[in-house]
Amino acid sequence: MSAEKKVSLAEKRRQKKVDCDKLCPEWGCAQPYEYEGVWVVGEVDEQGITEPSLQMLTPARRIADKLETFVEGILLGSDREQLEKAAKEMIYHGADRVRILVSEELATYIPGVYGEAIARLAEARKPEVIFLAATMRGREIAPYVAGLLKAGITADCTQFEVDEETGDLLMIRPPFAAILLAYIKTPFRRPQIATARPNIFPLPPRDESREGEIVWENPEDYKLSKPPISLVKVEMLKRSEVPIEKAEYIVSGGRGVGTKEGFKTLEELAEILGGVVAGSRKAVDLGLIPHERQVGQTGKSVRPKLYIAVGISGAAQHVIGIREAGLVVAINKDPDAPIFKNADYGIVADWREALPILIEELRKLKERSGKTG
Amino acid sequence: MSLKVVVGIKWVPNTQAVRFDPKTGTLIREGVPSIVNPHDLDAVELALQLKERYGAKVTAISMAPPSAIKGLEHVIGMGIDDAILVSDRVFAGSDTLATSYVIAQTLKRIGDFDLALFGQETIDSSTAHIPAQVAGWLELPYMYYVDRVEEVDEKQRTVTVRRMLEDRLEWYQLKMPAILGVAMKSQKPRPVSIYNKLRVRMENPIQVWSNKELGLDPRCLGLKGSPTLVSKVTWTPEVPRKKQVIEGPPSEAVKKLVEKLCEEGVLPFEC
Repeated sequence: MSAEKKVSLAEKRRQKKVDCDKLCPEWGCAQPYEYEGVWVVGEVDEQGITEPSLQMLTPARRIADKLETFVEGILLGSDREQLEKAAKEMIYHGADRVRILVSEELATYIPGVYGEAIARLAEARKPEVIFLAATMRGREIAPYVAGLLKAGITADCTQFEVDEETGDLLMIRPPFAAILLAYIKTPFRRPQIATARPNIFPLPPRDESREGEIVWENPEDYKLSKPPISLVKVEMLKRSEVPIEKAEYIVSGGRGVGTKEGFKTLEELAEILGGVVAGSRKAVDLGLIPHERQVGQTGKSVRPKLYIAVGISGAAQHVIGIREAGLVVAINKDPDAPIFKNADYGIVADWREALPILIEELRKLKERSGKTG
Repeated sequence: MSLKVVVGIKWVPNTQAVRFDPKTGTLIREGVPSIVNPHDLDAVELALQLKERYGAKVTAISMAPPSAIKGLEHVIGMGIDDAILVSDRVFAGSDTLATSYVIAQTLKRIGDFDLALFGQETIDSSTAHIPAQVAGWLELPYMYYVDRVEEVDEKQRTVTVRRMLEDRLEWYQLKMPAILGVAMKSQKPRPVSIYNKLRVRMENPIQVWSNKELGLDPRCLGLKGSPTLVSKVTWTPEVPRKKQVIEGPPSEAVKKLVEKLCEEGVLPFEC
């Protein structure tokens, strides 16, 4: 070990200095060493804190440990009891402290108001990093926070690292086609803001013995502007299917399946497995499945036990969505389809021939085992 | 005064063949054919519906190299009234914050708009940053995933929109001026008409603004004005998979597959 290496990352990032004259005057200027800690913004719905925001504690914990700093959860809303429960969950999953802002303005979700609240908190508390889950709401709020703070933001990261030389966060994302990864950093600006799609990171282990502080922020310190938006009404959609990001078994179809009729066969197979049907971008473009059932870079990342890709060629943009899948099976009549290089087991055949046999075989097995899937 | 709508257009490379400048980590656009970001056409279509319903005047804007004029001609061909190409070398290499700054300043210069519509995201980087960042610079109300404009109240200066989240439909009323991200595939963008296309030649409806017109501090533009930078680009590491292709006629191969699935213990029932 050289002497140089003994300088800890924590020290390195405290030595960092920014020349304010070189920055855009609209940004304002602050020194990176004024910022400390890794934030995870928790998303809370009717059921409590959402899983995607707890998943963000996984990279947060790792990065905070590398930087020798702490993890803070951030919660916003109007229901104290619900928020306290959510705060405890964040602590059980790895947060060292949770800051809660309670305000009547936050009673209904308005992106601008939630975004403003996070920005105001960040201005006051100066976190070094802010992580948000790239849920639909997270994707809506995060860039607004960045816009208010004039901070750098990177969307849909798939990995995070720390630059060993500078202590900068490396936000790693597939920039264009999923075959490439860009390492993005924001060296002169704090906080460093990043999002990751649900299921890119696993849920951290839950440990009820973990303790942490809950800080109730004083709403008087964070006067939020009266929202120029109001929620007029909400209509819950009855969705019978399990969302694909939660499914254990996924039968996924692509251009090769071709028709809605074809997808019925996929549904049959999914039903035997107790799973759901998903598809590639092509399947969405052809109107065979809705966008919320799309797997891939512009769709969702999934982590089922078993993923059966039917008539999917396996472009990099699709494969990136199944990186976390347990076992991948591909059925495609083109032996050169890239999906076979990204599958555990492949069958080169027309799905119209192979799938009915598979359905039959699995049905026999299921009936014999006498269990309901 | 009639309603004034601005639509943001991104000129994106239409190919899977990506090339990167390994030094800056930014896209090399030369030699790659470009198109209007398909998701922006949903915003264009929604704007044109507002033109039909409320007599709105619709202006398209694009921050892009000069070649994007073709994209603006395309949306004028669809029925957009006029367009501004915001183009200057000093904008090159902008990240989303620097881009949103220029777009926000362009909107400021346009001044009296009521609604600014953007496609929800682009096919080349799909960050979905720009609409919210523009709203952040201008501190305007904004809403994502809008699939329908229910009503514009020109007297009250409000717009009521619908949007769909994973499990719900929501209706919001926003004070204008407001920024809207239009949901992907939510509209059926109309085709270009020859009549409208002719207008491009006859009326010269496209202006070009450089930074001379906008007068922005170069420290806020391009690579300098971008808080994020790409420090390196690598290949995505492959996930280790078995890559076993099971040979034989389908009936045999499927039976072998089922055996494998049993061995792996991944089936939800006993084998």
